[in-house]
Amino acid sequence: MSNIDISQREFKHYPEKKRKIKGSSIITFIFLAMIAVAVMIPLYVIIVTSFKTLDQITLGRIFDLPTTWTFEGWNKAWSEVCSGMTCNGVKAGFFTSIKILIPSIIISVGLASVTGYALALWKIKWAGGFLFVLFICAFVPFQVIMIPLVLITAKLGIYGTFWAVAIVHGVLSMPFLTLIFRNFYKDIPPELISAAMMDSGSFWRIFGEIILPMSGNIIIVVLILVITGVWNDFLIGLTFGGFGAQPMTVILANTVITGTGAVRYNVDMAAALLTAIPPLLVYFGLGKFFVQGISAGAIKG
Amino acid sequence: MAIRYSWMSPRLALVPAIVITAVAFVGAIGWTLYISFTKSRRFPNYDIYWENFWRQYKRLFNDPNWDTAINNLIFMTIGSALAILFGFILAVLVNKEKTGEGVFRTIYLYPLAVSFIVAGIVWRWMFNPVLGIENFLIELGFENASFNWLADKDTAMWGVIIAIVWHGMGFYLALMLSGLKSINDEIWNAAKLDGISPWKFYTEIVIPMLKFTFLTCAILLSLGVVKTYDIVLAMTGGGPGTSSWTPAYFVVNAYATRGNMGYASSAAFMMLLITLAIFLPLVLLTRWQVKRRAREAV
Repeated sequence: MSNIDISQREFKHYPEKKRKIKGSSIITFIFLAMIAVAVMIPLYVIIVTSFKTLDQITLGRIFDLPTTWTFEGWNKAWSEVCSGMTCNGVKAGFFTSIKILIPSIIISVGLASVTGYALALWKIKWAGGFLFVLFICAFVPFQVIMIPLVLITAKLGIYGTFWAVAIVHGVLSMPFLTLIFRNFYKDIPPELISAAMMDSGSFWRIFGEIILPMSGNIIIVVLILVITGVWNDFLIGLTFGGFGAQPMTVILANTVITGTGAVRYNVDMAAALLTAIPPLLVYFGLGKFFVQGISAGAIKG
Repeated sequence: MAIRYSWMSPRLALVPAIVITAVAFVGAIGWTLYISFTKSRRFPNYDIYWENFWRQYKRLFNDPNWDTAINNLIFMTIGSALAILFGFILAVLVNKEKTGEGVFRTIYLYPLAVSFIVAGIVWRWMFNPVLGIENFLIELGFENASFNWLADKDTAMWGVIIAIVWHGMGFYLALMLSGLKSINDEIWNAAKLDGISPWKFYTEIVIPMLKFTFLTCAILLSLGVVKTYDIVLAMTGGGPGTSSWTPAYFVVNAYATRGNMGYASSAAFMMLLITLAIFLPLVLLTRWQVKRRAREAV
């Protein structure tokens, strides 16, 4: 539960009595602000470039604001840009990504929460050993198991569909997400479960009536990890989507990186920004949980 | 009845996870290793190449592109370690300053929400020699400014490292910040009373206390570097030539472009060995840490 400790400590710092403002403190603040500006530069560049006209871009002043703001780049990126032989913009990829995302979420969260719950709260002798195996699996690079997974999905007849991409996402994230759920559930007092069992509660009833209602926070953390992870993935979509189920990142890469013909930087940047908007919205909307999620992943993973 | 069910149900609930682990992880790793010894090319061929058992591995170690990939791996690990250093320095300052902590953390961390493909595309655009930052610097009056790093095989990896540091710095900052906050308030107060210089305080007290956090960061960073693929593809496409290949790039290239499953599998298996070499210290350290805590508790 180190997460909760952390957030509580944060609050503890704020009500300190008003400090005197010192010179060194101002310098520190200015330094931190300068770094913040530097970190923001790529986001700023991508936004202003996407609104510029191509004529202004060819003048070469990358940091200037657009002289005339235009949505031309955005329109072209959304519905006209070409990926391979088809020219439907990144829009097609957007809907494919959504189609991949929904089953991925259901598979990942369903699988990991039930597994984590069983391992954390039920007496199973080999739970420790299995957790250790999961811990190691969580760190196996995707490339190591890529080829067998391609062969398996091809055998199952789902290769090249969004199902393959979604299922592979669910499978690959299972060890890591299970560890997160397990670490959350293991702090639930065992008396609660014993009492519920005395009450003739079964495994699934306890899960549905007691455990799930308690898991709001951890589910949000996991949702953020899954949504940003699946949306930002490139290689799994490229490998398992074939031509029929290319997610947004793959369409984006096809149009910008391997695209032929005249380079239209405003369209490229608009396409990149469109791809980045969903996870950025999740991040700026649920930032607190995002921080919890990554520290949960790193410290306990 | 209820007791019987409560014995069965949790075990049944674990079946999917066990099957996935056995097939998609353990089985698939063995499968990859097996393929690397077979005659598989574009399609799997399960005849083992007995006459020349180590063929793919011999080829791999004689392949200059694999050398490049390994060298880049080492270079990138060292270069991206700057992300940990910056993350730590910024965490110390943010933690000391307190004003605007939430805002700074939000800004420093946002790159992590951006995919490597998008990050690579933006950075490639900024490295553009005619229209990007180089041109901006020249217009500012730095006539000799050269920021066209991605076009030169000696500097291309530096460009990639800058993008990786930008992308990951906030992550290490967040980890370091939670590490710093876990240090007892009394230690800060005692240090203040003793009048230790800030430099000494951080190098001799704080950093040793955070050594576990530092190690976690270092291992996560190296594991991330081993998997580096998307950002290289987006920024340099592996080029110029093959100068910015990484092991992950090598595997995907061998499989998808060259169409050689056996060769790709041998490189993939080497990736697993590299990962284990990085990962083992973490496991041992965690065990040691747990034991030490148990001893302290007694």
